[in-house]
Amino acid sequence: MKHIIKTVVFAAFAFLFTSTITAQEKFKLPEYTQFKLKNGLTVYLMEQHEVPLIQLTGVFPGGAIFDEESKSGLANITAEALALGSKNYTKAQIEENVEFLGATMSTGASLEYAYLSSSFMKKDQKEILTILKDVLLNPTFPKEELDKLLSRRLVEMDQSKESPRAVLGSYYNKFVFGNHPYGNPEEGIKSTLETITKEDITSFYKDMYVPSTSAIAVVGDFDTKSMKREIESLFGKWKSEDVIALSLPVAPVPNEPRVLVVNKEDATETTFYIGGPGISRNNPDYVGLEVINTILGGRFTSWLNDELRVNSGLTYGASSWFSHYKLGGSFIMATFTANETTEQTIDLALTTYKKLHEKGLDQEILLSAKNYVKGQFPPNYETNRALAGLLTDMFTYNFDEAYINTFSDQVDALTVEKAGQLIETYFPKDNLQFVLIGKASEIVEMAKKYGTVKQVEITADGF
Amino acid sequence: MKKILFTLVALLLVMTLQSQRKVEDVKSFTLTNGMKIMVLEDHSIPNANMYIFWKVGSRNEYPGITGLSHFFEHMMFNGSKKYGPKMFDRTMEASGGSNNAYTTENVTVYTDWFPSSSMETIFDLEADRIADLALDPKMVESERGVVLSERSTGLENSNFRNISEEVKASAFSAHPYRWSVIGYESDIKNWTIEDLQTYFDTYYAPNNAVVVISGDVTLEGVKKMAKQYLEPIPAQPAPRKVHTVEPVQRGEKRVMVHKQVSTPNVLIAYHVPETQHEDYYALDVLSSVLSSGKSSKLYSALVDEAQIATRVFTYVPESFDPNLFYFYGIANQDVSADTLEKGILSVLEDVIANGVTEKELQKVKNQKLMEFYKTLETINGKSNTLGSYEVYFGDYKKMYTAPSAYEKVSVEDIQRVAKKYFIKSNRTVGVLQNNEPVSSDSSK
Repeated sequence: MKHIIKTVVFAAFAFLFTSTITAQEKFKLPEYTQFKLKNGLTVYLMEQHEVPLIQLTGVFPGGAIFDEESKSGLANITAEALALGSKNYTKAQIEENVEFLGATMSTGASLEYAYLSSSFMKKDQKEILTILKDVLLNPTFPKEELDKLLSRRLVEMDQSKESPRAVLGSYYNKFVFGNHPYGNPEEGIKSTLETITKEDITSFYKDMYVPSTSAIAVVGDFDTKSMKREIESLFGKWKSEDVIALSLPVAPVPNEPRVLVVNKEDATETTFYIGGPGISRNNPDYVGLEVINTILGGRFTSWLNDELRVNSGLTYGASSWFSHYKLGGSFIMATFTANETTEQTIDLALTTYKKLHEKGLDQEILLSAKNYVKGQFPPNYETNRALAGLLTDMFTYNFDEAYINTFSDQVDALTVEKAGQLIETYFPKDNLQFVLIGKASEIVEMAKKYGTVKQVEITADGF
Repeated sequence: MKKILFTLVALLLVMTLQSQRKVEDVKSFTLTNGMKIMVLEDHSIPNANMYIFWKVGSRNEYPGITGLSHFFEHMMFNGSKKYGPKMFDRTMEASGGSNNAYTTENVTVYTDWFPSSSMETIFDLEADRIADLALDPKMVESERGVVLSERSTGLENSNFRNISEEVKASAFSAHPYRWSVIGYESDIKNWTIEDLQTYFDTYYAPNNAVVVISGDVTLEGVKKMAKQYLEPIPAQPAPRKVHTVEPVQRGEKRVMVHKQVSTPNVLIAYHVPETQHEDYYALDVLSSVLSSGKSSKLYSALVDEAQIATRVFTYVPESFDPNLFYFYGIANQDVSADTLEKGILSVLEDVIANGVTEKELQKVKNQKLMEFYKTLETINGKSNTLGSYEVYFGDYKKMYTAPSAYEKVSVEDIQRVAKKYFIKSNRTVGVLQNNEPVSSDSSK
């Protein structure tokens, strides 16, 4: 025991004298070109010559926030259906031609946007881009393929509920955002998926896949001048229709603590989120909050992981994060534990979280978190795919490369005092929302002490 | 076809001309204690990583201490002489680094990712825990809970974990690949500090490890640190060899697992040779022909056309000893396990009877080249792959010759290995489904 205390004291001194690391200041976003085609399509081109590969990522406004309640899942199905056939290629030809060249192509939709993502070798640029253009501009949504996709999706919805971790996010969003579009499950629900028709998809496509509200980023081993010409010739004739704007209402703020218990009869453990309102992606305090959250639940030595895993062995891992949307978001703490230790684990998570508000941070831990965040930052932007994702995120969430180029300065600017203000402002204190997936008969009674309880069956349709 | 082949050759030529795509870019040296170190300089970001491959995995265990390799993966973060409990992570994170580790049937791999300016701290931390790990009884006890939680969340969230434990246990009757890497629950609860100490002394010796460092470092810088921090750690006698050879399987084996699932899952496994065997590349290519992408044989036949599966994949682990070639399928609605199993087997029978096409083969070769480039895109991919080639193929240089090794595989090779290994007496079939099997089985 003596030995441990001695070591800790020694190490604490070592921390105090650790200077701020500065190597990351070298890290800047590589140069890129941004322009708009006449039809309004925003294009980003960034040359990267480390390997002879090219990544193309396109983003379109057709995310699940546009799903009407009666057609939940339409956005996602429409995005996936782009790859089911186009004017010049059948589904099989698209897959065969792309995969034969060792390339990949995927389409899908998340909450706020739909995407097309493709990675290919430089030498195959012409062939792949021709296919991508056809998929994006001339999809045919063949009935037979749609039927297959939809019927498989219905089965997959049941299958995904066999893994609590896979569906917890959808339950949480529906519970806290309710009928607000941020509560829409990205994959939809079975009862509405069954009603989606080819006409629904065609019309959603026409409304949402419009160049003036879309962006394409190409990153990789190419020459900017010739790629610019290529993109212009491929996507220049894509017509912009009237844009359907969705004015999102303000996300609801909970006015009482509530608990959703999702009964999974055969569960041996409880998998759960505890959370509250978060921030939008372009919030000016984004970086500061990331640093603070690192201390609470964003790294291995975070308070949550230290208490719930290292000190008590209650779980394999505990963490927290902000999930950011355009107009708001969520703050979430997450972990899992055996049925019989559920109450102990939730209590410990809450006590640990309270420390953030009651004791705040000190200089030593803040310095450690700053170093950690800066040190782990550059590898996030090492691949063509990650860089293309960053560029399209800048488009979707309305921020610019200052995020990368001033990242270190923003991290360094965070003081203990400023951190205290951010904690007070952004980390929800009251009316926390709980979603617990587990065996209800063993956890529902104790759940009542955390708030008003609602119980659903995991086997029931929807979230 | 000619055009494609020409392009590939041209590509391989170009590859050797550009930075970090040639084997000479990797420098290696061996310390006097037998620890081999590889260095790949890459100054594209101000970061680096260190991968330490320990040649110890679940194959080095025996009943009573199953799961110990994986448990050690955890204990290596729980305190040593200079850096006591918790200080490994705290020190590393405070200097901008992070770490993780993974354990397989064959190896345990520790990874550190850090700003290159913190390299000395990383060497100090690693050297301390390799030379002087302290096995604090309190830490051992709390870590048991962590690993039991890891085991149960894995089983709760993955049907594959559930069924593969049973299939492995049946397919192997003698070789230690028969238990899962995480080990038996009763062993996790019962191993002793003495078990741990013996295991550490036996396997965590510098001569039993391979180190890879990639990123914004110099060979000289790494050499200096390695000599200062790692070289003083003494070598140990080589661990006893795993000499158990799995007897030849003499008849199909079948296992049934009950769990609440909406549709049945089927796992079929065939015994195949180890990674260094001459048939490895053909088997690996065959795995891709069968399940890599939507145009692959199994996906297009079972998911797309027959619609009897919602998901299907194949998997051949890299392996020191002969292991298994896995086929995994998840049934579509109202499709019985039996129908799905027959569907998978009919695709295999077709490969055995008719082989694969030149086009299918060329597609996989193109995919392998693409994977190779993606590996080179990150410092993480470089280290992990270089180290894997060194331990599984016996030489990191083989990472660079892999594209040409794949290029040599022919359609005849593929049909030959399919015929040789995909025979009924060599397979184990596992089915995971509800307690009450579907009675209205349309396929019967």
